[in-house]
Amino acid sequence: MLRRGVSSSLRNALQVQKRSAASAPEKIEVFIDDQSVMVEPGTTVLQAAAMVGIEIPRFCYHERLSVAGNCRMCLVEVEKSPKPVAACAMPVMKGWRIKTNSPLTKKAREGVMEFLLTNHPLDCPICDQGGECDLQDQSMAFGSDRSRFTDVNYTGKRAVEDKDLGPLVKTVMTRCIQCTRCVRFASEIAGIPTLGSTGRGQEMQIGTYVEKMFLSELSGNVIDLCPVGALTSKPYTFTARPWETRKTESIDVLDAVGSNIVVSTRAGDVMRVIPKNNDDVNEEWISDKARFSYDGLKRQRLTTPMVRKNGELEACDWQEALMVVANKIATTPGDRMAALVGGLSDAETLTALKDLMNHLECETLCTEEKFPMDGAGTDLRSNYLLNSRLTGVEEADLVLIIGCNPRFESPVFNARIRKSWIANELDVAVIGPKVDLTYTYDHLGDSPKTIADLASGNHEFSQRLKTAKRPMIIVGSEALQREDGGAIYSAAHKLALSLQNTTEDWKVFNVLHRVAGQVAALDLGYRAGADEIAANKPALLYMLGADEAAVDRKDLQNCFIVYQGHHGDRGAEQADVILPGCAYTEKQATYVNTEGRTQQTFPAVTPPGLAREDWKIIRALSEFAGVGLPYDNIEELRGRMSEIAPNLVKYSVVEEANYFAQAGPLFGKLASALRSDEKLDTKLKGLEDFFMTDSISRASATMAKCVQAAMNEKKNRH
Amino acid sequence: MIIDKVHKTLRVIQENGGWLNSLLKLYRYDTLKSGRLVGTDDYGNRYYENKEYFMGRDRWVEYADKVRLDYDGSQIPAEWYGWMHHKTDIPPTLRPPPKYKWLAQHTENMTGTSRQYVPYDTVPPKIQPWIPGKK
Amino acid sequence: MAALVRTLLRDKSHITAFGLRYVRTSSILQGQGEYIQVNQIPEKELMTREAIADRTAKLFFFEELVRGMMVTLGMIFKEPATINYPFEKGPLSPRFRGEHALRRYPSGEERCIACKLCEAICPAQAITIEAEERADGSRRTTRYDIDMTKCIYCGFCQEACPVDAIVEGPNFEYSTETHEELLYNKEKLLDNGDKWEPEIQANIRADYLYR
Repeated sequence: MLRRGVSSSLRNALQVQKRSAASAPEKIEVFIDDQSVMVEPGTTVLQAAAMVGIEIPRFCYHERLSVAGNCRMCLVEVEKSPKPVAACAMPVMKGWRIKTNSPLTKKAREGVMEFLLTNHPLDCPICDQGGECDLQDQSMAFGSDRSRFTDVNYTGKRAVEDKDLGPLVKTVMTRCIQCTRCVRFASEIAGIPTLGSTGRGQEMQIGTYVEKMFLSELSGNVIDLCPVGALTSKPYTFTARPWETRKTESIDVLDAVGSNIVVSTRAGDVMRVIPKNNDDVNEEWISDKARFSYDGLKRQRLTTPMVRKNGELEACDWQEALMVVANKIATTPGDRMAALVGGLSDAETLTALKDLMNHLECETLCTEEKFPMDGAGTDLRSNYLLNSRLTGVEEADLVLIIGCNPRFESPVFNARIRKSWIANELDVAVIGPKVDLTYTYDHLGDSPKTIADLASGNHEFSQRLKTAKRPMIIVGSEALQREDGGAIYSAAHKLALSLQNTTEDWKVFNVLHRVAGQVAALDLGYRAGADEIAANKPALLYMLGADEAAVDRKDLQNCFIVYQGHHGDRGAEQADVILPGCAYTEKQATYVNTEGRTQQTFPAVTPPGLAREDWKIIRALSEFAGVGLPYDNIEELRGRMSEIAPNLVKYSVVEEANYFAQAGPLFGKLASALRSDEKLDTKLKGLEDFFMTDSISRASATMAKCVQAAMNEKKNRH
Repeated sequence: MIIDKVHKTLRVIQENGGWLNSLLKLYRYDTLKSGRLVGTDDYGNRYYENKEYFMGRDRWVEYADKVRLDYDGSQIPAEWYGWMHHKTDIPPTLRPPPKYKWLAQHTENMTGTSRQYVPYDTVPPKIQPWIPGKK
Repeated sequence: MAALVRTLLRDKSHITAFGLRYVRTSSILQGQGEYIQVNQIPEKELMTREAIADRTAKLFFFEELVRGMMVTLGMIFKEPATINYPFEKGPLSPRFRGEHALRRYPSGEERCIACKLCEAICPAQAITIEAEERADGSRRTTRYDIDMTKCIYCGFCQEACPVDAIVEGPNFEYSTETHEELLYNKEKLLDNGDKWEPEIQANIRADYLYR
């Protein structure tokens, strides 16, 4: 209750700030180092300086957090002002002449730097922040060139006890400069007010008040935010320096948001994953799973082809493995074959696999992740996308979440909902289990019946929905995987259509996927769900990274299973032949996120052992099988991709899809009716469910530690 | 002058223990010198000094007898190294070197023998492959 | 151009009995500069009878050879000017940069904290470091490799080291028969440190005023 109280007071404060800013549209002129700049009223000195390209040093200020103004590093001189002003917090006034390089400003900075350094340890050589430390850089740039530190016996330096914040964030609190960025991140973005400061002056400390871990799905972001080495990454501890790593910009594939990431590698080894700023997708946050599960890329890997001999999988070379598969293909009719693709598959491989199977006259190509195929099913693209886009939630005024937990299915998107909830008075309603989403919402029940009630106007919330100017309905893909998924889908779709405002180009209906490969697979014409395979009982099943055990070997009699993937997980265990492929850090591959944004990963490291790029494996297999797919390099393959689905090669844009009106009438006959007796539920309810959801994160030791910590934290009496 | 040289040679021969020993030393060390024995190290090497020779020749070592003709420059241990190379005039007999229990025994350059250094990895492999049948 | 040639030809001072000697018209014409012959052509003298006898005697009795041998003979009885390595050794500076070693604290704890400054500064990129947290939470290397065949012995690594862990020791007698023996790993370097610590310490003590 206290938590909610804190959050809403924060929310009110920010809204007041916003409203006051919106009331004066006239621009005012200020002068930064005698350069004139026209700015909106309410712009801070720091922002005005940034407009003319002058960067004022800062520690506590961060664009995406509220202004604290407590580090004093941004002090600048303003003409006719008796004292220097804090640039980050001070709004400019008309005609101000701001001097960012005057002797007074320099002296103020040197003074602040000296104060910061008196209590900062000189342990840069063993500090993980070394090389990317704001304090290090700014003391070189703005600090004094000599020391007045005379305490050679080190009697007076402050020392602070380290806090245990969990298995991800390492603390060295003596290095802390009390900028409170982490505190503000925790309460504003992550929505868990665990962190705070106690004491004042020299005694001020950042901590958790009580003995508690800082466990959040976004906790890793405080590592990036911390300007010094007080908060560093535990799995990355001491392993690498920023100057020796090679950075590859890539895409995270562990959820369907497609967060932009930078993969830091050294000598063919992934050292860490950090977020890359993309305002349209992930801003500058990534989830802990995206950030810390990289050690899963080094464990349980398939490094060599294997063939089952006498009941045992034995390593062999590519020639032998591909021969075995090709021989099997030759003796199996096309309609007795099937392919099943998992959630981490990329568009290139999906294209190659589909071409190969279609050449072999096989049409049973399914994704592991289910999706209702009744009505228009996946034929219309707008049926399975997050049509209002991830950024759309910032324009929306009402969000109705049906049967999903965005906090754990797409943490970065949830942070955006929360941001909108704080700043834009966004109202949230949920149909589904009552879970902690880090913001308040109206819980409308957990029966699928509620959706129909809302559509027919029989629910008390219907009126609120009707009056909403820009409502968003987000249907979780998990809700659509129930037996009555089709019915839920059509009910939600009907509700969305009834709220669709025809005058404005605003899309109400949204699907939030959980896996990265699903949208591309549906774009390419894969059938959603493995039901068809279970019914057909194929003699040859080609599993492409299918690790969620959608099909069990026991259900298929005498089926020859080929597994292609990168991890020895549930899929590889049942295979007769294993073809080792690449994980997302090892290949150039296309993924489409839940809003339909095409993005690509780039190879950061070489695949381990004999593993090869996935589409090349299928290309090689096609040669053995006597088909010979007509592309030899990735450009040609992408040419083929663009023939099937042109949006798959238009990178970092979202292709418009708007066929809601057309989709409506197609829900003629539904395979099943709404089952009101069965409650809408989500698999990911608590933090302990979040960390291990796919073959990469299941192999990760860090993620296992996180699960353990989350379980233990439940027993914490605080 | 020549008489002086002959005299000196005879004295050196005498100090080296007679004609036979002198010939033996000449065979082993390619030169015949006499000087003050400064010390002996743990490995049996004997260190001599005679300031009459110019710098560079004024300090020399007679390698331990057990190595016979397999003497090598790298057989001089660290304690005597500085004195031998004229970095210091104080031999370790006068100022004992620091003693730590972790100090290692001196070894000569072992290249070409079975005890030569062979490089190896000090870190485990980065990628752990999946082994079928094991979780 | 033709005028120039004409002028040159008219100027008889250029012309000797051997023709146009000092100035080569072709080179002027081709613009390649000119050259001037500075040595005089010796005039052939007729040798006297005594001179011929002298020269014959010199040739016949190997005079130069005998003289040379006499110098050699004289040198045998002089004190040699060379150092009789490996029994005698030349002077060495305490700053001499030889074989690398990783040092320890007197307690036996290894000094290196894996800050990687030596790796960063190494101009030959001969150093490779991998590090991780040791069980006691301290920052230590798991791999500290120096490719001694890449190393240029500039000594930047020991200058960069904040804890005096990596040093270029005094030893230079570590030549090997194979290349791979010079690919030092952490254990080899630590072992070097353990062997050479007395001398390394003496060098640092000798040089501390100037550091």
